[in-house]
Amino acid sequence: MKHALALMTLVLLCPRPALPQHLPTPERHRRGLWGEFGFGPGYVRIACSGCTDVVGTTGGTSYLRIGGVISRNVVIGFELFSLLDNAFGFTPQDSAGATAETGTAAIIILWYPGRHGLYFKGGVGAAFGQFSIPADSGSGGTVVADTSTGGGMGLTFGVGWDIAISRKFALTANAASFVTALGDVVTGNRHVDDVIASMYNISIGLTIR
Amino acid sequence: MQSDTLPRPNAFRAIGQTIVLNTVVNRLDAWARNRDWAKVGTRAWARNIRLGWAWDQDGFATNVFAHPYHGSLYFNTGRASGLSFLESAPIAMFGSWSWEYFCETERPSLNDFLLSSFGGVTLGEMFHRIGETIRDNTATGLHRTFRELAAMPFDPMGGLNRLFRGKWKRLGINPAEHDPKAYVLRVGVGGRFARRLVNDSMARMGTFVGDLSYGDAFAGKYRTPFDVFSIRLIVNSQGGLNALNGSGRLYGRALSDSLSHIRHQFAVNQRYDYVNNPAQSFGGVSVEAGIDSRWRLGARRDGFGIRTALFGDGIILGAIDAPGTGTGLRDYDFGPGAGVRWEAGLDRHGARFFTLLGRVAYIHTASGGAADHLVNVSTLELAIPVTHRVGIAVQTSIFDRESHYTNRPPDKRDYPEGRFMLVWTKGASTP
Repeated sequence: MKHALALMTLVLLCPRPALPQHLPTPERHRRGLWGEFGFGPGYVRIACSGCTDVVGTTGGTSYLRIGGVISRNVVIGFELFSLLDNAFGFTPQDSAGATAETGTAAIIILWYPGRHGLYFKGGVGAAFGQFSIPADSGSGGTVVADTSTGGGMGLTFGVGWDIAISRKFALTANAASFVTALGDVVTGNRHVDDVIASMYNISIGLTIR
Repeated sequence: MQSDTLPRPNAFRAIGQTIVLNTVVNRLDAWARNRDWAKVGTRAWARNIRLGWAWDQDGFATNVFAHPYHGSLYFNTGRASGLSFLESAPIAMFGSWSWEYFCETERPSLNDFLLSSFGGVTLGEMFHRIGETIRDNTATGLHRTFRELAAMPFDPMGGLNRLFRGKWKRLGINPAEHDPKAYVLRVGVGGRFARRLVNDSMARMGTFVGDLSYGDAFAGKYRTPFDVFSIRLIVNSQGGLNALNGSGRLYGRALSDSLSHIRHQFAVNQRYDYVNNPAQSFGGVSVEAGIDSRWRLGARRDGFGIRTALFGDGIILGAIDAPGTGTGLRDYDFGPGAGVRWEAGLDRHGARFFTLLGRVAYIHTASGGAADHLVNVSTLELAIPVTHRVGIAVQTSIFDRESHYTNRPPDKRDYPEGRFMLVWTKGASTP
């Protein structure tokens, strides 16, 4: 016990290095007009009203962002995000060659809580979806596709990290979710009510800041 | 004066209170009200996580009024824990998201999440500021207790936090929100006359209208989100709550000199709208951007002036009645959209004597009947002072809607109404 008290006293009395009075001003994460683009794998889950189950698959994603600065820790931007699934279509029963493309165009806010490159993202905007499924052959042996488009609203939340590679450029790692509410989708003789596509992706991007 | 009447920022306390709030409401629904949808467990949680978002079929009032009010409770756990507006907004989203995934056996509802989150932030900040205006940390005795109780319906989470921390009696300084510098409160009671409310005959009923303008966009510089907001409540003797509309300034930037005769300001506002009666149901959450202007009449800065506004509106989620076309039991559609709002009026010290207002909103259905809806609201309001505070008000409006469906004939309706009221106005302003 005596040894412990002596050790604590020593620690408390031990001279500590003085903290700098003026910490260096943290570097801004992004300045002025900035832009970013990137790509990565994603997963999409499509649900609808009255559906007893959901279907999901993987696909390639890409995004483009452009924006400005609100404050040292908050930037605002416009984001275009798209997921293309070319092996899945609209349901697992759809044949090869079917495609489903869903995406969002959203106003986003990136919040950097600290001096490091970690940020959180939230955004809201418009959503679109296009579903194309090969149907019966047309005249001359050509393949005719039933195509349907839907539009609605989109939401996005995510987290990312800017890794500076120079003063002007950074590599940006992202993990994000996107919710796109597309309304009714009609392909051929199928009518699907109130489609909601939830997408999740991880990506790597290049940021010009 | 002590300063510990103001809460110190604590995000963990806000998150904890949100979890407790959800748990208490869920258990009350499950145990006291025996609601099947509230009897959740790990199986329901796993199913909700696996299936994800859907649209629900709840009634219009539940979805467009009750959920945003519930969202305001989440938001105000943040404000009561000392967090700022921006820091409290994610708390509203967290509360709504966790309720949808873990407190109901039904699939998480996207419309609930959006309306509770965005509507909760809008109503929450307004209610927080109204509560802080009513409460007074310098008051004592019965007067103090009365103020604390009067603030409870607006900001119950703030009131309960203060009660449990012994701040209902403690003397101290007031927060900045207590004094908006400029405000106008106008309440009116009278008669409402509406055609086509139920059928083509004229319906007559009693009405109460409350208008609050908190802050003045031209009284000072932009300081914080919702430093300027306006809210209107309409309650009728038939049907109860008829309308609740609120708009708060998220951001403002002066475009002209403060001494100029003609002043313009760029503003971004966050809106919440709820209109529900037998003839029409319309509401939602939106963000608008545009120009507010004031044209001074005469030499006096505190004299009469003409105010104008022109705003473009992005509707995050709108809701509109669509009889026979909604999903399942629901008789209204949900969807995003856009709109325009314009306004012109004569005022003094922020109190309006004459107002012309028009609003056009377009909603594209994302859930319900495959449709595009166009709503047009035109309003004319006149207030004639009789004494210093009492006057007579005449308000007329026409709600006109046109819905185009992909698989049924278009629906065109209009709905005129008028209100004739005795009004009482109280206000203060800093010229």
